[in-house]
Amino acid sequence: MSDATPAKDRVWEVFRQEAEGDPMVHGGSVKAPDEELATHYAREFYGRRQESERLWIVPREAITELDDPDLLKPPFDRSFKRPGGFLIKHKLEAARERAGTAPAEEAGE
Amino acid sequence: MTELDAQTQEALAELLLSMADDEFVLGFWDSEWTGIAPILEEDVAMSSVSQDEIGHAKALYELLAGLTGDDADRIAFGRPADGYRHAALMNHARTDWASSIARRFLYENADAIRLESLANSSYQPLADLVVKMRREETYHLLHFDLWLRRLAEGGEESRSRLAAAIDELWADAQAVFAPLAGEARLVAARILPETLETLRARWLERVRPRLEALGLPVPAAATPPDADGRIRHTEEFAWLHGEFTMVVRSDEAATW
Repeated sequence: MSDATPAKDRVWEVFRQEAEGDPMVHGGSVKAPDEELATHYAREFYGRRQESERLWIVPREAITELDDPDLLKPPFDRSFKRPGGFLIKHKLEAARERAGTAPAEEAGE
Repeated sequence: MTELDAQTQEALAELLLSMADDEFVLGFWDSEWTGIAPILEEDVAMSSVSQDEIGHAKALYELLAGLTGDDADRIAFGRPADGYRHAALMNHARTDWASSIARRFLYENADAIRLESLANSSYQPLADLVVKMRREETYHLLHFDLWLRRLAEGGEESRSRLAAAIDELWADAQAVFAPLAGEARLVAARILPETLETLRARWLERVRPRLEALGLPVPAAATPPDADGRIRHTEEFAWLHGEFTMVVRSDEAATW
């Protein structure tokens, strides 16, 4: 936290898990002066209706942010870096034929 | 357990009513913070805790209604103000935040001790309900202890307001353990495993050191609660009663 932030203005980001094994998903944030109150408020905002299996409560200042467009949105065409650029559907069908297995349901996708 | 005789059942009804009314009236008082609590997050927390208490009251009123063949909504909303049996601690109107926190600290600890004991009640429906209530009350206890500490350590103004509130509420807080008319029967049947006076002594053993540890003045007097600790009411409660029965009174025959 920058020393300039008064305790009362500290923000905590809350991540929640809806069911055991699910990924932690950002739920939102709460304001609280310390970890203990942040935990209570996170529970009230993101768990009081039994909608969460688990919460992560993270002080916002602990988060490293990257939003530099030079790093995230380079100006050149990058479509060849997407997996969609490689069509493997027909190769897959041919491979299955060779292996003598019936096409699985998802083969048509 | 075997069938309850009429007098034991009457005593059990009195116990259930006293617990339900404590939760119900306190839930309504603290719901008055909705919209005006010190910070938005606490507004949601206090409102949520108040709803929990109303939920506990509902479960207790339903248990009582099943026992006496009455209706839970009728018991909750259909009595005149002088028919309520909450402890005198719940007679005080909402004033400042320190006062609400002081009351919560005193009450949550008393309630915790009452529920700890009743978890061993021979009346199984009550013991079962108490197990569920305690899971929510654990959080209440933590939350208000946290606030007690913050107000005690937060500076001269919060500390002096808190100390004044504890002093003002101290005598009426004893009334959570005011004797019940049928108490001896309940203890004999182990419906109430220990006397209320035993529970009060335990509460004092827990609350006093906590206040001392925070450097708060511990009120000296701990005179036992008077027998009418759950019977005498105030004008302030009469006002609250008018508030929480307003909708019912507007059309008593209405159905949901």
